[in-house]
Amino acid sequence: MILPRKSKYYVAAFALLGTLFSLAPLVIQWASYTTPIYAFENSFVIDKFSIILKGLFILITYLTFLLSINFIESDKYYQGEYYYLLLSSLLGALIVSSSRDLLTIFIGIELASTPMFLLSGWKKGDRKSNEGAIKFFLLGVLSASLILYGFSLLYGLSGKLVFSEISSYLLGASLANSPVVLLSAILVISGIGFKISVVPFHSWAPDTYEGAPLPVTAYLSVSSKATGFVALIILLTKVFAGSGSSWGIILVIISGLTMTLGNLVALQQNNPVRLLAYSSISQAGFILAPIAISGITGDYQDGIFASVTYLIIYAFMNLGAFLSVHLFSNYAGSTNFYEWGGAARKSPLAGVLTTIFFFSLAGIPPLGGWFAKFVVFRSLLGSANSIGIALGVVGAINAVIALVYYARISKVIWMDEPKSINEEKIFQFENPLKVVGVFTVLITFVSGIFPGIFSYLGEVSSIFFGN
Amino acid sequence: MELLTNGMGLSVVVFFPLISAFIITLIPKAQEQLIKRFALVSSLITFVLSAVLLFQFDFSSADKLQLGNKISWIKSINANYEIGIDGISLPLLVLSTFITVLAIIYSIEHLPEPKSPKGFLALILVLETGMNGTFVALDLILFFVFFEIVLLPMYFMIGIWGDKTVRTVSGFKNQIETRLYASIKFFVFTLFGSAFMLLGFLGLYYRGNKTFSIPELIELGTSGAFTGTFATLVFAVLFLGFAVKVPMWPLHTWLPDAHTAAPTVGSVLLAAILLKLGSYGFVRIAIPILPDQAKAWAPAIAILSAIGIIYGSLACLAQTDLKRLIAFSSVGHMGFVMLGIASLTPIGINAAMIGMVAHGVITGLLFFLSGSMAHTYHTRDMGRLGGNMKLLPKTGALLGFTAMASLGLPGLAGFWGEFMALLGAYNPLDGLNITVFRTSMVAGAIGTVLTAGYLLWMLQRVNLGEPSDEWLDKDLHDADVYELSAWIPLVVLTVLIGVFPKLIFGATNDAVIAMLSKAFGG
Repeated sequence: MILPRKSKYYVAAFALLGTLFSLAPLVIQWASYTTPIYAFENSFVIDKFSIILKGLFILITYLTFLLSINFIESDKYYQGEYYYLLLSSLLGALIVSSSRDLLTIFIGIELASTPMFLLSGWKKGDRKSNEGAIKFFLLGVLSASLILYGFSLLYGLSGKLVFSEISSYLLGASLANSPVVLLSAILVISGIGFKISVVPFHSWAPDTYEGAPLPVTAYLSVSSKATGFVALIILLTKVFAGSGSSWGIILVIISGLTMTLGNLVALQQNNPVRLLAYSSISQAGFILAPIAISGITGDYQDGIFASVTYLIIYAFMNLGAFLSVHLFSNYAGSTNFYEWGGAARKSPLAGVLTTIFFFSLAGIPPLGGWFAKFVVFRSLLGSANSIGIALGVVGAINAVIALVYYARISKVIWMDEPKSINEEKIFQFENPLKVVGVFTVLITFVSGIFPGIFSYLGEVSSIFFGN
Repeated sequence: MELLTNGMGLSVVVFFPLISAFIITLIPKAQEQLIKRFALVSSLITFVLSAVLLFQFDFSSADKLQLGNKISWIKSINANYEIGIDGISLPLLVLSTFITVLAIIYSIEHLPEPKSPKGFLALILVLETGMNGTFVALDLILFFVFFEIVLLPMYFMIGIWGDKTVRTVSGFKNQIETRLYASIKFFVFTLFGSAFMLLGFLGLYYRGNKTFSIPELIELGTSGAFTGTFATLVFAVLFLGFAVKVPMWPLHTWLPDAHTAAPTVGSVLLAAILLKLGSYGFVRIAIPILPDQAKAWAPAIAILSAIGIIYGSLACLAQTDLKRLIAFSSVGHMGFVMLGIASLTPIGINAAMIGMVAHGVITGLLFFLSGSMAHTYHTRDMGRLGGNMKLLPKTGALLGFTAMASLGLPGLAGFWGEFMALLGAYNPLDGLNITVFRTSMVAGAIGTVLTAGYLLWMLQRVNLGEPSDEWLDKDLHDADVYELSAWIPLVVLTVLIGVFPKLIFGATNDAVIAMLSKAFGG
């Protein structure tokens, strides 16, 4: 922001480099890791879990920047602010993944989401963008107040801020299943429910996604969602671990509803961004399922493993899907994907990438999405609990329904006849976007063919839950 | 030769087509000849390699899994890259590599619209990886992955190169192109089955010492580790997954649409190999791992098979579309395969094995012929065809021969599967309900008569008689050299298997007997 206007050109490059360099300390931390390091009186921790998540958040932001370059440059002004806000949001996400007390995590959550209120209204002249931003803002404030209220109950009860102290206090006073703690858990789940857009807190998502600039939407549906999930996982397993059987049931219901409703509405969409919005709602149901069931069984380690694995694979394939939507809606000049007929013939590369991302979202082997779905089913059936198995059946039916709309995009771009043949129209596929495409597609394939790389997550989640 | 026996050979047979497909995508689109040659050569190499494995395979211990390997794949869930073949999978594996070569030969000159050989041939090769992989996989997760890999290429083959006729489908407001409807129907049906199948696999995993290894699960299953409601449910979902693929009545409805809409080569591969993935799943996974449940379900499977046989034949009698007729005939023929499997006797399952191969060869050829004729005449309406023998003597003669093979003429491949399946059903495994099986057998026998009926009727309408006037002034091309070189090997194979069924039984018999005696004792 402090740069003079004519050097705005460097802003993007600076942001990209800065993000990339911030990976370096992570690598060093990973390499020199022995035991979790606590700082600031146990309210901040560096463990393998947080290092992995930080790496994920930084990579997502980096890819979002690459997606944004051409988009923002065409916009002439506010470049500095754009990158500044995204980086602030990244900082929030990084804080969340390490936080171990109520204040820190709250600051992290809000720091991650507040810049997004501004970014989602970036297209100032666009009424849809304004509408989406207002909805997002109002519900965001509501969600913050719900979370705060939940936290205040906990603080009022225990007088502590640090998670480990709160949970040992609750256990010691046998308050883990008291109505106040449950109310607090419900408030926190509802508050974070907005961030991760699960039913019934999802209503803002499609409008905001549609209104926001596409890179911002991609960031919202991937990074903001992941931040919310990480906060939820930390809070549920570090603070509310003792009352798992109660919130477990609530989350199971939310999870089942979320996957089903998101899917059924996604079937009706003709706008690709709204389709991805509802698809990401449905995917959130899948991510939530293992945590939900782990609340009932108490096997948090397995739940965390499944959810985080899903989250990581989902992040990259969904970014890829947004890239596809960006490319094709730019080319066709239409936000109705039924008008993209035959567009893949213009750029087979973009067509193949799109096919891969969408079928990966549908969970077709050997693309990464199958392993994500697989670990979720595995943890649901592994619970050997009738509720878990029922949720698994709901999930299996949903996986089939989802195929119909994910396949539709590929069908249109490959199989439909071109509606308006315009030989001169050029299919634009800029280099930064190609980097995003290649990077995400590689991760999608590698995670599907060698899912063994996620094995360390199992170990990591055991460390995470061990302390 | 050490290299071939330690799993390397099988891995190459599985993954070489995939690598070739990837290389094809790198060749510029304009180099059509190069693409075609490359695809042909790589499919030939795969086939030759699978033939070499045939010689490496020790037939004297065909009941044992051979040439395989086991390496760690996904440690966190204990899924391994475990492969191997025995007498049951060997014929199917070779059939798969063989049919792929023929499919590519045929495609060289007969690509459906929109041509684009690059995409088409790459998809065939990806498909081959899925098919070969399914036959060699010995780990449930590996099996699942390969089982699903075939879906995407077939979906695109039907959807892009399929039949563009516009039709009205009940339940849809607007008219829809056949290919679009058929492709997604195929995909959704199969995925529906396999999503539940995966849940079943997970169930076995948790009850069975957390292993996905098929041989280990067979050991556990035969020692009674899976019982009660749990086992019933697991068998039910496995049944769903495999029966959709076979397809068994009443889950067959995707098949006529997919076959009719698919391009010629797509129908051939679908009929010859893809359907076998389902019946193979029964023999490899469902029956040996859950023998008691298989026994409990066998009468139901027999009844469904019998209904499938009768239903398929009657549906054939009602068709006017040549390709659709052959598609429904597949429902009937796969009914015989499943009837053989349901009998749970060596003779029945051997019948199923030879029936699978014979159906692959014969129906594959029928689809080649009908596709080629549809291409020449631009219609599949049997009311308009006629006098094919006079117009296209070579194609007509082959059609006559293949129809005879398909109706089970003794001396040709189709005979053994039908005849022995009926024998198996006459005398099923001890303890199975004799009345049900004998009734099914009678139904199957009536089915053979009906099969003969519709095939002869088809020949009469298509091949015999005088050509209608509309063809007289048209310049119709009879089979060319590419077509003949794709078809003649199938004719030879039909005769060979018909005369020397030992070609198949030599491999399958020991394996089938070993599998059954392990599952049911004795």
